[in-house]
Parts: sequence; C-alpha cells; structure tokens
Amino acid sequence: MEASEWPAEPAERVRLLVERVLDELDLDGEVELDETDDVITATVEGDEDYGLLIGRRGQTIDALQLLAFQAAFRGIRERKRVVVDAAGYRARREEVISERADRAAEKAIASGSEVELDPMNARERRIVHEHLKVRPEVETFSSGDDPHRRVVVAPLISE
Amino acid sequence: MQEMLFYITRALVEDPDAVEVEELEEDGDLVFEITVGEDDLGRVIGRGGRVANAIRTIAKAAAVREERRVLVDILD
Repeated sequence: MEASEWPAEPAERVRLLVERVLDELDLDGEVELDETDDVITATVEGDEDYGLLIGRRGQTIDALQLLAFQAAFRGIRERKRVVVDAAGYRARREEVISERADRAAEKAIASGSEVELDPMNARERRIVHEHLKVRPEVETFSSGDDPHRRVVVAPLISE
Repeated sequence: MQEMLFYITRALVEDPDAVEVEELEEDGDLVFEITVGEDDLGRVIGRGGRVANAIRTIAKAAAVREERRVLVDILD
C-alpha cells in the first residue's frame, strides 16, 4: 500500500480494509458505504454465506469494525462511529437480543428474582438497556468484567 | 495471510514504512511476527490489547483452512 493508494477519506479507508479482509477469506461481496454526521456504515452485500466474516457471536465482524475505526481515523482528530455489517447481520442480532431481553423480563417478573443474560459486548448490552427501559416492572444493570460482563434484569417489586 | 497482516498493520500506523511482518514456524504452529515503529506500538496494541486482539481474531478467521494454529505476535 503506497501512500498514494491510501485514501484520506475515512469511509474509503473503511471500504479498503473490509475489501481486503473479504478477499483473504475468499468471499465475494460488494461493500456499500453510508455516511451520516455521526456514523460510517460499511455493509457487505452479496450471495455468499458470511458466517466466517461474522464469526461466533459476531466476534470477527466486531474485530474488523474496531480495526476499520482505528484505520479510518488515524491522524484525524474528528471521529465518528464505524459500523461494519454483512447481509443484515446487525439488524438480525438486534432482533435476537431484544427477544432475549423480553424473555428475561418476563421471567424476572414471574419469578420475582434477578435474571442474568449471557455475556455481551457494550453495544449489545446497550440494546438490552434501551429495549427494556420502557418496561416499568423491571430495571437493568450490567455486572462483571469484560469479556464476561452481562446484563442483569431485576424485577421492581411494588408493594 | 502475511500480506493481509501487512496491509492491516500499515493501515493502523503513522509510519507504514517501518512495518514488517515475518512468517515463521514454531512447534508446528504458524507464527507471524509484526514489527512497527516504536511510536506506533500503542496504535497496534490498543487499550488493554484491544487492537492486537482484533488483529488476532481476523487472522484466526483467515486461517480456518490452515490445518494448524496461527499465532500473531507484536514485537516490542
């Protein structure tokens, strides 16, 4: 990678990095970029099974997202979030986590005791907190240390 | 693999010309040793080793077709 080939635009840097990793994983796909005031989203679209790119519990695509963020804003003071997505993975994951949060809330209310969810990263824990914020019968908090940090759903018992 | 690690590491640092990635074999494992300029060490390791671990995670995914373990070391 010569200096001239490495673009100044953060979104283009994200694209190149994602393309390079796709290539190494032997996967076809188009990288579509979307940029707003606070987030750059790079979505891999294609007909392949992107399981290898996503990894167990999203760990590979999350690693790529972190590297893409670091590479995009190297030497740049003004930063925004970077999201790397593949074939609707983030939306599906959000749906699964929201459903899991609902089930934990039902269980906490029915049993009157705290329910612990599986360990999640910060972004996924935030999905749970946000999702259950509208339910007055429970409260949520995080407990433990990364990578084992998890959300606890606790019933709010009213006398 | 070596080229991808070279590409990723160069994308992370201020001084890409100082980046070297060496491939060697150790007890049957495939080992990649990454060297960067002294001032860039923090950029490829990251807070709590987050960036280094992300590099390792990508390498592990890329190594699924290898029949052996792939290790990534960042030399300081």
